[in-house]
Amino acid sequence: MSLALMLALAASPVDGEKLFLERVYPVMKDKCFACHGDDPKKVRGKLDMRTRKALIEGGDSGTPSLMPGDPEGSPLYIAVTRKDDELVMPPKDNDKLSGPQVDAIRDWILAGAPWPADADKRAVKKWDDVGPAGVTVATSGGRSADWTERKYLPADIWAYQPIRKPAVPSGAAHPIDSFVRAKLKDKGITRVAPPAERRTLLRRATIDLTGLPPTEKDDGAAFETVIDRLLASPRYGEQWARHWLDVSRYADTSGFANDYERPNAWRYRDYVVRSFNADKPYDRFVLEQVAGDEIDPADPEMLIATGFLRMGPWEHTAMTVAAVTRQQFLDDVTHHVGVTLLGQGLRCAQCHDHKFDPIPTRDYYGIQAVFGSTQFADRTAPFVPAENVASLAAGKENTQLRLGEVRRRKQVINARQEVAVAAFLKARGVEKITDIPLAERDNAGQLGLTKDDLTLRKLLNQQDEYLSRELLRYEAFAFSVYAGPLREYTSKKVLNEMPGKMVGTVPVVHILPNGSIESPADAVVPGVLSAVSGALAYKVPDTTAGRRLAFARWVASRENTLTARVIVNRVWQYHFGRGLVATANNFGKMGGKPTHPELLDWLATWLMDNGWSLKKLHKLIMTSATYQQGGVHPDLAKLREIDARNELNAYFTPRRMEAEEVRDGMLAVTGELSPERGGPGVFPEINWEVALQPRHVMGAVAPSYQPSRTPDERNRRTLYTYRYRTLNDPLLEVFNRPGSDISCERRDETTVTPQVFGLFNSEYVHDRALALAIALQGKPRPVAEAFQRAYGRAPTVDEGRAAAAHVTKMTKHHQAHPAKPRPVPKTVKRNMVEEMTGENIVWEETLDLMDGYERDKKAWDVGPQTRALADLCLVLFNSNEFLYVR
Amino acid sequence: MRRRDFLYGLGPTLGTVAFNSMVQADAKAPSPLAPKPAHHATKAKACIFLFMEGGPSHIDTFDPKPKLSELHMKEFARQDKFASAMASGKRYFVKSPFKFRKAGKSGIEVCENFEHLAKVIDELCIYRGCQAESIDHPTACYHMNTGNRFGGDPAVGAWATYGLGTLNQNLPGYVVLPEGAFPQGGSANWSNGFLPAYFQGTPLRPAGSPILDLRPPAEVTRVEQRSNLDLLTKLNVADLKRQPQPGDLAARMEAYELAFRMQAEVPSLLDIEKEDAKTKEMYGIGQPDTDSFGRRCLLARKLVAAGVRYVQLFEGGWDSHDYIERSHKARIRTVDKPIAALITDLKRQGLLDSTVVVWTGEFGRSPDNGVRGGDNVAGRDHNAKAMSMWFAGGGVKAGHVIGGTDDIGNIATDVVHPLKDLHVTLLHLLGLEDAKLTFFHEGRYKQLSQTGGELIKEVLA
Repeated sequence: MSLALMLALAASPVDGEKLFLERVYPVMKDKCFACHGDDPKKVRGKLDMRTRKALIEGGDSGTPSLMPGDPEGSPLYIAVTRKDDELVMPPKDNDKLSGPQVDAIRDWILAGAPWPADADKRAVKKWDDVGPAGVTVATSGGRSADWTERKYLPADIWAYQPIRKPAVPSGAAHPIDSFVRAKLKDKGITRVAPPAERRTLLRRATIDLTGLPPTEKDDGAAFETVIDRLLASPRYGEQWARHWLDVSRYADTSGFANDYERPNAWRYRDYVVRSFNADKPYDRFVLEQVAGDEIDPADPEMLIATGFLRMGPWEHTAMTVAAVTRQQFLDDVTHHVGVTLLGQGLRCAQCHDHKFDPIPTRDYYGIQAVFGSTQFADRTAPFVPAENVASLAAGKENTQLRLGEVRRRKQVINARQEVAVAAFLKARGVEKITDIPLAERDNAGQLGLTKDDLTLRKLLNQQDEYLSRELLRYEAFAFSVYAGPLREYTSKKVLNEMPGKMVGTVPVVHILPNGSIESPADAVVPGVLSAVSGALAYKVPDTTAGRRLAFARWVASRENTLTARVIVNRVWQYHFGRGLVATANNFGKMGGKPTHPELLDWLATWLMDNGWSLKKLHKLIMTSATYQQGGVHPDLAKLREIDARNELNAYFTPRRMEAEEVRDGMLAVTGELSPERGGPGVFPEINWEVALQPRHVMGAVAPSYQPSRTPDERNRRTLYTYRYRTLNDPLLEVFNRPGSDISCERRDETTVTPQVFGLFNSEYVHDRALALAIALQGKPRPVAEAFQRAYGRAPTVDEGRAAAAHVTKMTKHHQAHPAKPRPVPKTVKRNMVEEMTGENIVWEETLDLMDGYERDKKAWDVGPQTRALADLCLVLFNSNEFLYVR
Repeated sequence: MRRRDFLYGLGPTLGTVAFNSMVQADAKAPSPLAPKPAHHATKAKACIFLFMEGGPSHIDTFDPKPKLSELHMKEFARQDKFASAMASGKRYFVKSPFKFRKAGKSGIEVCENFEHLAKVIDELCIYRGCQAESIDHPTACYHMNTGNRFGGDPAVGAWATYGLGTLNQNLPGYVVLPEGAFPQGGSANWSNGFLPAYFQGTPLRPAGSPILDLRPPAEVTRVEQRSNLDLLTKLNVADLKRQPQPGDLAARMEAYELAFRMQAEVPSLLDIEKEDAKTKEMYGIGQPDTDSFGRRCLLARKLVAAGVRYVQLFEGGWDSHDYIERSHKARIRTVDKPIAALITDLKRQGLLDSTVVVWTGEFGRSPDNGVRGGDNVAGRDHNAKAMSMWFAGGGVKAGHVIGGTDDIGNIATDVVHPLKDLHVTLLHLLGLEDAKLTFFHEGRYKQLSQTGGELIKEVLA
């Protein structure tokens, strides 16, 4: 320790005992005792820290851990400073002590490490490690007084403070530009990128709003007109629904052991698309998804909307305990309502009061109680006019075809058994099997059948069940909920309709310390997040119905300090690549701090003042110079010294297209993209190995993936492709399409080599390249046209020359290398280990839909010149200019 | 090959992946998969994880319970209402249909159907004290493979490659070798979860192209592809001149060159046909019962030898609710010879010391059964409270049995640890500390054990 510091300390004598009781003991209790004393059977390093004597004696090391008066000689102090790699405590970085906490320990040791005998009783935790700026937050109260009274830095709880509409700084015509420029100026950034050239801007705006590159010729309309057109396009709702479905975790299956189909989930997907296209006010959108059934149970749209609450993976089978799976749902919905709508994950408060944010575990269970009367049901909900019912008949036909084949094959096995049983009965001279005593029936259930037959029959039964469930896709049910007493519900049952009578009671929700349902603590009533300004007084009724509606009204109110900020931030993020708060799902202490807090609040207020209209918000953002600037900064080297991540928007951050944009973009460029909207999921061609890869479902394997029969069905937008939880289209997966199990706040953008395999090698992309080549065939200038379609511009002279030379060279090559046709697979060999015998069973499965399958054009269907043109198209699809939004 | 030429990571993410990975904005950061120093010195550099999906019965493999012979077909009253829906209805004790024998110098007791494994038993450390939490397969599989019962989190192999990188930049760092069918829960069992995509498990296919779309469609010649690649480079270079933008566009271009080379090199690297006949015979390749698993075991050895960090094999079918005698017998026959060969081969090649091999299911099985069709078809149900697993290789206390269960194998009673402690221990064996191996996500630093765990010191050498 420096002399100056010693002098400083000597000048202000420290009350060691007070320091200990208020600032040292509570920290040790919080961070150390769990491993060093509380459990006498498991004392780490044999060091018990609960008494001064034991600390001085030390643990395994045999040397004292505490040297009163000598912090630098006390391993206790050295460990918490984390300066010595060999001695770091607490072990987890996340638990490290704050600077003031470390200093308090040092000062206490310097003061002789006084430790009153009744420390445990007298210690009062003062959460002053946040320093004098700390403030307390009123909540519904923690499990301990310490927690309830703890202090927070105002910067860490900004999101719980009221939204204020700040004055717009002067300096620019557009309010967004005013805020952004003011911040740039603040940081000493004087140069920004010049405006993007029109072609770049049109492409950017078109992809942002519709997920598709522009395919129409630029008619020179004003940019505002272009925005209006794009917002009016039905493609807008598809693109922005996709973002919302990332957040809400959309899938067509339930995950886990059976990955059962959710045959009506598609109606929720389409509801989200409709909502965006109709510019449904966001507050209304929130209300409907949380409590549509309580708003108007007679409106099918309202029943469909609540599918939102059931989007998580979930299943309840014969193996699981109903109370446990019910709790899984409650925990899932509680956390995800927080994540999606409030930008505040709540799971941390499932086991204890939140470690960082002012969220008592009581609030977690209070919100859980909001869902205490929420029950699952497949509710009758007639199709609404906007739904795609036209496609149902064809889909149903396919399902019936497959089901018929499964039943036919079952019948073959059963018939064989019947013959054998008849022979057996005849030999015994009886008429029916029950005429024979049980013990002498000689395994009649398996008569005439081989081991393989038995396995196959089991598989076919399972497939029958899967396909029967699939038939419900085409029926007017909603994947929905209702308010009522606890019901019996199993995933195994194909259809769980509303119960005829409401029987039983709504269980009281209890705080579950450590999340364990085996040891419930205090009962709680339905509530909201009490730390949010003004929320403490908000009442949610504990009647069976009306809980969710009251909760939803709180979420969707102007007074809620989170909701408007969270959605504004999401919209900003999807336009600019990063939000004003970088962590769109986490506005708490551990989330990112807003880069432009005033702008965020101004936008949140603006949104609410403008009827929560997201279309208006898009237009506001896109008419700013900040949105319209170019992607290249004039002095990047210097800018990086100040703002390496371009958080302050001195230029437009280019982004790679997202997985669906890559696929849809190719289909748009080739002209194959089907404009059809909505309806049950379709099945594009995916890598055949993956499609035919057997997937285990409980005791059997799921039916194989078979692509839809016609190109029109297969070439739908990716949004409309069937979304399994346990089977991903590898082409989308390598471009960072997330799984559906956790909420995705923002897509990753990694560059990995499997992307090359997917985009440069896969049959799917080769087929798209060929489709484009075929479309260009016979055009006067096919090479130039290829560039025009892929990039929205003519090739440069160099590009045009190189491309033409390539096509010529490849034409010659293909003349010498004709393509050999490959048949479509009609059957597939599959195998699995049979649990009953432990043996591997191999069988052949017919791919029913491959009869009459309309295949994409292949290399052997066209001439050398078209193949050569396809080579060029493949290159264009793989090029950076196609893949990036700039 | 230049340092930048690596398979699964080409520079940092373009859009920045997660909050804490954004700290470094310089696009020239090293690959996320470049080898990284371990937290502590360790023998094992790689892991082969043999996952027996379905829940092998500890009572019929590595934890003999003679007491069950006395109790056979006597009634067993279960109490645990939250443990399983199976705790309802009449239950009966079931004895093991198998005999056990003492094997090796260590005299470890093992089911006698493990003929081959018995010969290398002295390399094994059997652990009988682990307890899972879930009683149904998918959540228990997710728990074993990712530390989180509900899926969505990174797999153990993802954490290991995140912590250590990998030694061969031309191969994925984390390889998965599934059986013919993907397991319940599918690829979430080898997910990168919230870690960047570089760390995702890559399933190598038992047939066809080992890596998906490693090669273009059959009619595309190498000349054609090279020529396409040249044109692509030309277009991208011109583009880069016009758009000298931040972000690592050049990395994308290098990825194409690497992919082109891999097409030629990877298949031969993975080709087990080149192995000598004796080796193939040792693994049971070409013999119907063992061929599939034997191939994967041999491939695992080749991958580890080539510098892959983490190899996970899946072999299902252990869920013997009925007919445990015939079904476990067949399962044991399938894995016995290949595993013994793997251990022998690793040792022979000097790799056993630098590899940790783990064998486990997602949980153990019950000493009792609902007996759906009389005692000749009896099986066992799920049991999260008792199971057997074993370790072999670097840093492992070979030739020992650690921990134990009660006299009917119903619950672990000695050296009892929750599943997360297995994860802590496995990371430790690979030189990583669970508490230090964290990643910021959803507002906190997450770790494999979720909230921290303990080492199972007894299994360490």
